[in-house]
Amino acid sequence: MRTLRLGPVVGVAAIALVAVAVPVLPLSNPTAMDIMHRLAPPSAAHWLGQDGYGRDVLSRLLWGARSSLGVAVAAAGLACVIGTGLGLIGGYLGRGAEFLTMRSMDIVLCFPPLVLALLVITLLGPGTATLIPLLALVYLPGFVRVAYAGVLSVRNQNYVEAMRVLGAGRARIMLRTILPNIGGPILVQFSLAIAAAILLESGLSFLGLGVVPPAPSWGGMIAAARATMAQAPLLLLWPCLALSGTVLLFNALCDAVRDAVDPQRVPRRRGAARVLDALAPGLVAAGGPVLDLCGLTIEIDTPAGTVCPVRDVSLQVHSGEILAVVGESGSGKSLSGLALMGLLPPAARVAAGAAWIEGQEVLRLDEAALRRIRGRRVAMIFQDPHHSLDPVHRIGAQVAEAIRAHRPVSARAARSQAVELLRQVGISDPERRAAAFPHELSGGMLQRVMIAIGIANGPRLLIADEVTTALDVTIQAQVIALLADLRRARGMGLLLITHNLALVSEVADRIAVMYAGEIVEQGSAAALLARPLHPYTQALLRSAPGEDGSLPEAIQGTVPSPQARPAGCAFAPRCTYRRPDCETAPPPLVDAGGEHLTRCIRWYEVAASVRSAETVA
Amino acid sequence: MSPLLVAEGLGRDFAARGWFTRPRPVRAVADVSLSVARGEAIGLVGESGSGKSTLGRLLLGMLAPTSGRVLVDGQDLARLLPSDLRRLRRRMQLVFQDPYSSLDPRRRVGAQIGDGIAIHRLVPAAEREARVAALLAMVGLEAAHGARYPHEFSGGQRQRIGIARALATGPDLLVADEPVSALDVSVQAQVLRLLADLRARLGLGLLFISHDLAVVRSLCDRVMVLYLGRVMEEGPAAEVLRAPHHPYTRALLSAVPSLDPQHRRQRILLAGEPPSPADPPSGCVFRTRCPWVLPACATAVPPLRPVGDGHRSACIRSDIGEAGPLVAQRLHDNTTRQHEQERAE
Repeated sequence: MRTLRLGPVVGVAAIALVAVAVPVLPLSNPTAMDIMHRLAPPSAAHWLGQDGYGRDVLSRLLWGARSSLGVAVAAAGLACVIGTGLGLIGGYLGRGAEFLTMRSMDIVLCFPPLVLALLVITLLGPGTATLIPLLALVYLPGFVRVAYAGVLSVRNQNYVEAMRVLGAGRARIMLRTILPNIGGPILVQFSLAIAAAILLESGLSFLGLGVVPPAPSWGGMIAAARATMAQAPLLLLWPCLALSGTVLLFNALCDAVRDAVDPQRVPRRRGAARVLDALAPGLVAAGGPVLDLCGLTIEIDTPAGTVCPVRDVSLQVHSGEILAVVGESGSGKSLSGLALMGLLPPAARVAAGAAWIEGQEVLRLDEAALRRIRGRRVAMIFQDPHHSLDPVHRIGAQVAEAIRAHRPVSARAARSQAVELLRQVGISDPERRAAAFPHELSGGMLQRVMIAIGIANGPRLLIADEVTTALDVTIQAQVIALLADLRRARGMGLLLITHNLALVSEVADRIAVMYAGEIVEQGSAAALLARPLHPYTQALLRSAPGEDGSLPEAIQGTVPSPQARPAGCAFAPRCTYRRPDCETAPPPLVDAGGEHLTRCIRWYEVAASVRSAETVA
Repeated sequence: MSPLLVAEGLGRDFAARGWFTRPRPVRAVADVSLSVARGEAIGLVGESGSGKSTLGRLLLGMLAPTSGRVLVDGQDLARLLPSDLRRLRRRMQLVFQDPYSSLDPRRRVGAQIGDGIAIHRLVPAAEREARVAALLAMVGLEAAHGARYPHEFSGGQRQRIGIARALATGPDLLVADEPVSALDVSVQAQVLRLLADLRARLGLGLLFISHDLAVVRSLCDRVMVLYLGRVMEEGPAAEVLRAPHHPYTRALLSAVPSLDPQHRRQRILLAGEPPSPADPPSGCVFRTRCPWVLPACATAVPPLRPVGDGHRSACIRSDIGEAGPLVAQRLHDNTTRQHEQERAE
């Protein structure tokens, strides 16, 4: 549990304490009249003055807090407990229970709350004993619906199924697993219900239907003060202040509680605009590689300080070339791709570096200029096609939309171009498939549609971020083959970002291996696979399942988090070639010959070990 | 030794309901028989939609079969009282694919690992903490990790926690549903080694569900290849993967990427996508994507026939196994279109 914010807690606790302690406080009797001093202004004896009957306003205000809060908290609490229970039962126990609970709540919802309240009070008479169950009934459907909706979204989660597999009974699953996970919305609902109940109670008391005069209540005080508004306007102020202050404090408290019970709360983002700190000025002439990325460094501000998930990454992709960027999750490979598209999450910013796409620097472009090149000069395809396509539009229309975003063509021409693109990405019967919705196609098909959208405007650079990870093995092979074909046919540069070295080894021209935010090795695919010059690349190669059916070798340990980077080589703690001097200073990226770069000071030993292993074999 | 778990002729239909269409049963699993002995590892291989996850749930008694039965130690799961079934769950546990959604984000991992112990009252409450620490140690984590929340762990560590939770009840059988496919390749190796080690150390029966043949080969004794809910081929893992007798197994195997340029296989690129389980092709369900298809394939469902010692294949052609090294066959879209035309007619 995180620490609770103190402000709202202290505020609500103070109000609650006053409400509880009112009988023992040295206050004058709230119902004792003193007609002689009616509407008297504040004095030493009566701090807030006296009302139309000469009663002490402070005393009535505090006693009023007792009745208002008592009624509201009791009613909201009752509604919360019963409503959450009904919602859990309705959501988890099956169709019969669901029908009974939800339909009965629909019936309650048919009555406008105020009409329902007036009806019940007319029948049973005013008073606290009537108010509490009445307000509970009014706020019950809200709790049932919030709990029910929460259960529906949580009950099919894997961790609920895990509890069933463990043999847990229904009661245990509902109370121990589902309830904590729907607690947040229910707490919010509770705060809203208390606030609304205080208001409704005051409203009814204002009408004389709630707390019966002369017993003090805020609503009653407002009603009485209204009659003497011209003579003593202050009398109206005190109960109104008390009312709105209390409601606001309750809302703040529930927000604080909800944040505190959520173990993975994201810290609030500071509203700072994206600022590019130190960017190298444009030095590289146009013409040359499609992508020339120099010294990209990305920083993220976290509560624990600034971390640097990508540091000094330099890459080049030539037209018609496939560069594979390989690394584990957290290695910074996806962030680098997003930075090129200007799509970094708001917490992250480019701290240094420059990127030229066909000679144009893109890291410093504003949003409007970025929109013009996104999709047109550089396009990106993501891992999960199900979430990347709009579920309510036909796929042909979505491809046509991508075309029309950058080119002034008629809707009809865009449609026919879209069908042609779908044919190019290997979708059979493209005319018919163009009219399909995303949910009607399989994951492999959808990824082909995403590729069609990506190449729609003939980009010079296509960034594919883990595009095959969510697909089956046979479909993976199809998609990789398709990307390789398209790159050849269209002469575009392809940046393949993946964690699977084996997958790209057959199609990549060059490979860059990333570890903990840095490129640790880069070179031609053939050289890098045959003669890895960094221990991490070597370990990666060994961790793929072997051809002979032997168990793969695991790399011990885990990737260091950006907060806890080792002082020297980032891979040193897991490295079998480690020497003391590896841990003193970060190693530079050195050229081992033939544009084969490695960030290992002992690369010649690594190379020698590969050679000796070959001679043994 | 008597098998731990036996499935006989298992099948499961799901009712597909549409607003404007007639209800049509979708056959997710059809006529699958298998047995798992203590300490044995069986691999279930297939692509998405092959029914392998449904089969896993059927074997665990999480879903009721439409036909056939599941016996655990000779007891039919369908005939057990709900309370007896819950007690039996102690012996069969599931490891999920997604290490992110399978852990409760709001509870500390130690408490989640301890759930199984608490539910079945395996050790007194006072010793529970020590037991959880032992389980964490068993999967290579530290006792102090138990006090953390799931989001503080990496994917590989979460999967270890999921395995520790499954081991908490002291199961005899572990069903692992794609336990490594959501992980990075380098982390996959760690989890695979852990599973292999646990199986050897605890004598666990292991049902390993995966779409990746290379992974299955390194871990399993026997393998069963599923396509559209039907068994295509089964047998000893080494045997099936060395000399596959079914065209689908050959295609799957050829799709596994290889790091070694000298061992690079010729790809059998399967055209198109698997057909919808709601509308399977007649006869052999694989015939619409099969490079070796014959006219006779459309007439009758091919039975599983023995092709070696404990090795069976559901293909009417007997020359597939002798086809030698995997050859490149690029299939045109013709067969897919043929099938669609047939359906239209």
